[in-house]
Amino acid sequence: MMLLEIKNLHKIYDNGTHALKGISLHVNEGEFLVVIGLSGSGKSTLLRCINRLIEPTSGSIKFFDKEITHVKGEELRKLKSQIGMVFQQFNLIKRRSVLSNVINGKLGKLSTFDTLIERYSDEVYKEAYSCLDIVGISDKAKIRADSLSGGQQQRVAIARSLMQNPKLLLADEPVASLDPATSNSIMQYFEKVNKEFGTTVICNLHFLSLVRRYATRVIALKAGEIIYEGLPSAIDESWFKTIYGEEAEEVEIR
Amino acid sequence: MIQNNEINLIPQKIIADKKKIEDKFNLAKAIFLDIFFVFYSIIVVQRAIYLKFILDKSDLPFSWHQIFTVFLVSIFIGTFWALSKTSLSCKLFGIANDNKTTKWTVEIFAWFLFNITFIAGWIVTKISIVSIFSSEGIHGAERLFGAMFHPQMGIFDDSLFAMIETIYIALIATLISIPPTLILSFFTARNLMKDNKISFAVYYILRIILNFVRSIEPLIWAIIFSVWVGIGPFAGMIALLVHTIASNAKLYSEAIEGIEQGPVEAISATGANKIQVVWHAVVPQIVLPFLSFTIYRWDINVRMATIIGLVGGGGIGTMLMQYQGLAKWREVGLIILMIAFVVWIMDYISAKIREAIY
Ligand SMILES: Nc1ncnc2c1ncn2[C@@H]1O[C@H](COP(=O)(O)OP(=O)(O)O)[C@@H](O)[C@H]1O
Ligand SMILES: [Mg+2]
Repeated sequence: MMLLEIKNLHKIYDNGTHALKGISLHVNEGEFLVVIGLSGSGKSTLLRCINRLIEPTSGSIKFFDKEITHVKGEELRKLKSQIGMVFQQFNLIKRRSVLSNVINGKLGKLSTFDTLIERYSDEVYKEAYSCLDIVGISDKAKIRADSLSGGQQQRVAIARSLMQNPKLLLADEPVASLDPATSNSIMQYFEKVNKEFGTTVICNLHFLSLVRRYATRVIALKAGEIIYEGLPSAIDESWFKTIYGEEAEEVEIR
Repeated sequence: MIQNNEINLIPQKIIADKKKIEDKFNLAKAIFLDIFFVFYSIIVVQRAIYLKFILDKSDLPFSWHQIFTVFLVSIFIGTFWALSKTSLSCKLFGIANDNKTTKWTVEIFAWFLFNITFIAGWIVTKISIVSIFSSEGIHGAERLFGAMFHPQMGIFDDSLFAMIETIYIALIATLISIPPTLILSFFTARNLMKDNKISFAVYYILRIILNFVRSIEPLIWAIIFSVWVGIGPFAGMIALLVHTIASNAKLYSEAIEGIEQGPVEAISATGANKIQVVWHAVVPQIVLPFLSFTIYRWDINVRMATIIGLVGGGGIGTMLMQYQGLAKWREVGLIILMIAFVVWIMDYISAKIREAIY
């Protein structure tokens, strides 16, 4: 079933940067779609348009057949609560515990008053612990988030987005500030979520070796346009040079 | 719903248009500033330097006619100068022609402005080396310093009590200021308020009010409130309170504007509403700076409460004023020593607490 349908999407920032130039794209449920491209090619902009952290300039985005390109207010919050997002910089609340960081993923579905006085039901706690279990870090629940290592913090961030019960999980270069070994383990959690719960994943990545290993489909962006779409295995030397430029050389991550 | 397939926005054009408008704005600003510079130079040179210093006139003739003439002349020169794109203001706003003439005019004129300002300042302040070294003056100072080394211990109890009153005035003003300051700081943080027009209007109006309140010194507020609620500690407390709210709201809101945006974005991406985003992503990042500012402010307020006492805000300042009026220098000496000691202790304590927090 079609989850996401993007048609001729343009984004022009206030300063005049034309970051997306007519992107058209379909994403089916259960896919693990990876977006690659040089930095500045518009990968983050694309993800941010999808969960509407920013508003597209023109074109259309449909999520489960519903037009979401310009939704506002309550509807926009509802949309956001169905889409999880994981960032390169983890973006946890540093001084709070791991557990409250995970519960933050549920804020949109709880009453404002309860969340202000932090009165959560047992179910919410149980859910938070099970999300932490999925990324194997529930023993750290009571610890302050900023005392964890980068890889652990990113796992907490994944748990936070799982707390949303997302239909779609977006990840904006989730392993770009981690070492190779940790990168691989983080990618495995995304794979697990994708395979076990059937959650659709759209992930921006830098390393082709990771792309080949985890992606079911790849698109490549260059200067705001899609220049490649297909299977990861089909990206050969010449495609690689087209996407990353003539001087680029592939590095392996295992 | 917007459905234009043919995209008619050309980025380069948008940027060029913006630049054009900005340049026009800058030129307008440059013209105004140049007019002001010329006006200022003529007035300062003519009145402070020529009439007052060189001709040594004690009262200067004042006529609106003359000022108006000078103003017209400056409009003419300033406008012409800015339009030639070689002036100081053009340089400041980044629209000057890049050539030798600009470089020379800017350098010479900047020097000129600095020098006439310094000279005029010197003249206006009536700086007089003579009075510092006059025997009469030195004698008075000797008396005061001498008294400080022989303080009148008989009023120790009374002045200690007054000092405690001052500390409490400062403490209460600081404590009461916290809730209103907190609320105001969220409404005056640009990053929280810029999203829609109504909230931005609120932001703007509150900023103006707070700036106004802050620009009036606590001393002046104390005078106002001692007329309003009567001379005494209460007037002093309200004066401090008002000023504390206005200044700390600015510091707090700047702390809010400086927070990391990442967590805020992450929380709002989960579908949380505005209140939840503020409470769960903004507040945890600002608790410590807020605490630190508030403690520091208590320290400042103790000092200010002393000064406010001088105009009838109660506490040790009022006492100091009374003994000074009676020329009882030994009593004054004791009070000054006590103030110095307490201020030093407060300074030390507040620094230690703030260190411990971080
Ligand atoms: N908030 C913004 N305002 C203006 N320009 C932006 C903003 N964010 C990104 N851009 C510009 O849009 C282009 C695409 O950026 P981005 O989507 O971040 O690329 P990527 O994630 O592939 O590195 C870049 O040229 C970038 O400078
Ligand atoms: Mg990016």
